[in-house]
Amino acid sequence: MTPAVLYSCSFVPPEWIAAHGVRPWRTLPASGPASAWLAADMGLCPYARAFAEEARASGAEGLIVSTLCDQMRRVAELLARDSPRPVFLMHLPTTWQSAASRAYYLDELRRLGRLLVQLGGAAPSDERLAAVMLRYDAVRAALRALRGRVSPKRFSEALAEFHATGALTAHAPSAAPPPQGVPIALLGAPMLRNHFWLFDLIEEAGGHVALDATDSGERTLPAPFAADRLRADPLRVLAEAYFGQIPHAFRRPNDALYQWLRRELARSGARGLIVRRYVWCDTWHAEVARLREWAPVPVLDLDVNVDGDAEGRAANRIQAFIEAIQ
Amino acid sequence: MIDTPRRITLEDWDARYAELRAAGLREPAYGGPLRRHLDDGDLRLARLLYDNSAASLRLWNFLLTEEERLRQARAEGKKLIGTMKDLGTVPVMAYSLPNVVAFYPDGAWWLPCVMEMSTGMLEVADSLGIDEAFCPVRAMLGAFLTEAHFPIPDLLTCSVGATCDDFSAIAQRLEALGYPILWWEAPSRRRPDPGEAAVSLPGGFAAPQAQVDFVRSELERLRGALETLAAARLDDARLAAGIRAANRVRRLLAELRRLAYTAEPCPLPALEMLIAEMLAIHFCSDRAESLLVFEDLLRETRRRVDAGQGVLPPGAARVFWVNPVADLRVMNLLESCGGRICGTEYLFCHALDEIPEDLPPMEALARMALADPMVGPAADRAERICSDIRAFGAEGVIVSRIPGASHCATEGAVIADVVASSLGLPVVEIEVPPLSDSMQPTLSTRLTALVEVIREGRTE
Repeated sequence: MTPAVLYSCSFVPPEWIAAHGVRPWRTLPASGPASAWLAADMGLCPYARAFAEEARASGAEGLIVSTLCDQMRRVAELLARDSPRPVFLMHLPTTWQSAASRAYYLDELRRLGRLLVQLGGAAPSDERLAAVMLRYDAVRAALRALRGRVSPKRFSEALAEFHATGALTAHAPSAAPPPQGVPIALLGAPMLRNHFWLFDLIEEAGGHVALDATDSGERTLPAPFAADRLRADPLRVLAEAYFGQIPHAFRRPNDALYQWLRRELARSGARGLIVRRYVWCDTWHAEVARLREWAPVPVLDLDVNVDGDAEGRAANRIQAFIEAIQ
Repeated sequence: MIDTPRRITLEDWDARYAELRAAGLREPAYGGPLRRHLDDGDLRLARLLYDNSAASLRLWNFLLTEEERLRQARAEGKKLIGTMKDLGTVPVMAYSLPNVVAFYPDGAWWLPCVMEMSTGMLEVADSLGIDEAFCPVRAMLGAFLTEAHFPIPDLLTCSVGATCDDFSAIAQRLEALGYPILWWEAPSRRRPDPGEAAVSLPGGFAAPQAQVDFVRSELERLRGALETLAAARLDDARLAAGIRAANRVRRLLAELRRLAYTAEPCPLPALEMLIAEMLAIHFCSDRAESLLVFEDLLRETRRRVDAGQGVLPPGAARVFWVNPVADLRVMNLLESCGGRICGTEYLFCHALDEIPEDLPPMEALARMALADPMVGPAADRAERICSDIRAFGAEGVIVSRIPGASHCATEGAVIADVVASSLGLPVVEIEVPPLSDSMQPTLSTRLTALVEVIREGRTE
């Protein structure tokens, strides 16, 4: 049976894992009732908590956690202590403009490769890696083509399915009705698997998600690979597409996020921006005020916890927001 | 003049100051009565208890005049560098140059406490979207925007990577407001893989040589920026001299800690020791003077130890303290509850260890930066804490959570587990906001409970 590694970070390339003959399993964890395991860890963000619970209970042969945020870095430590599976903590450089940072990322991929071999995989040849990259690139192209042709919720779910399985199961109907209501951009932390009701709430309030720029949305898809250099040095091309291209709030400086957002807000025609962030997520929380000052459209700060009334509270706020910009 | 060590109020210091002056006290230019700082707005001073020595007076005056020192340095044409989130590395490099003064803008996190929220620093942070969900270091934003507490530095550096999210996010907000930052990466320290080239770090941990090489390359970027700023070469000879000078400070502090945390009765209060430890990070903007301040403190502490004198009654519960407190008054509170400090880990133990002098300077600094307890796993930090607990003979541990700090969500439990399983000592977690007055009964109850458990343990 093919061993699997579970992870959640968008900067971990599934191509690299798959090329080793290991199954990449990028999860969107689901929130659930708090377990006794993390009961003492007050101030832990709901996403980090959900990932930790899921990773500990999963049947994956290995776990990959990146340092994209401090809380996840520390979750890796808890998992290494309390889970029988090997935990690979990947240092994801926050700085990105120096050659040293780019080289560091590449070295981390190589180090990850050694773990994948230990888990039963095999170091890939350049040809094999390039072939796997092309396969993923093709699926991503098909995935991007779905945007606007299936419902926004279905599109984002298809992204999540692709991350989890590497496959695309959604198909565009031949004549999809155009989405109705006020176009909204959704930005922020990754979704929880059981939080896709947010898309329904937005539609019920008279809007639709025209741009899923969350960490689990299309913003974190890597750029298409540079075909001319793919055969010669696929690993470097892979690193450039992920580390060199994905815009994110955690990067220092993070101006590339704003450049990407400016372009995509215009392309999508979004008339409002909802920043969905978890309570205790400092990275996205700190961006909200700056986004308000910067954005050409109104901004709603939607803080999310995992308590039972999250949906009801969010519904009221989203309804008022969309009503105000209609 | 009576020279019995004791803890006194600010009121008491008025008389004590007159007494010391009458006895011939000679002070540096920044000297004077403590009360003047209260009159300048440092309102918290009225609620603290202080050590009554001339050495401690000098320590406080040195701390509370840093802003004037920075403005003076600027007036003299020196270059100012703000070293954010960097606990002890870049300042050593900066002070190796003759015309550069480094300071620690993060130190503004104490302003809401020292000025009892009268500064508006936190309100400025609030207005910028950095609210109370973040660590109190958010006060730094207010300090930058108002320019009321330190001059805007000529160069601003910030360590990111394996650091706390709140600080990284706050620094990004600052940069977006128009304060350019030279970011440098501190990777998450990991244990070397089998067969991987590894090196020992100050403090005892091991790290892959590749990580040290990476940090060294980051520090080389900083060296280039410092040279440009100072218009002077920062060669290895200068750096080596800077490291030796920093080590002189660290050696003095090490001896001070050894005496203050092991002698019975306790010769120097927790509050003054906290301030002293903080000075070692960036020398409070004057490395040469910080050396003199430490020498004075050490002389006074030795005198007390030799005389068998202390500021607390003998038998106080011996407590190891983890993380700095946002409210200085809590250090007094521990002592009022029957405890004393016997060891600390204020998040910068690497800045207390001597920097290797037998290595090329940049290699030595890179190793020290990678020994930062914040960049490694909490379990490493807990191991270091256990080692220091053994050295200082602590009987219990306080983990003081910093409100909103991303690392505090999980590390307290990790540290408590390791301490309890390795040493069998009681551990109590508390959370200390910048002004803890309304929480004093709760804090007092928890501190007293730990003290009682320790005392009961002695009789069993």
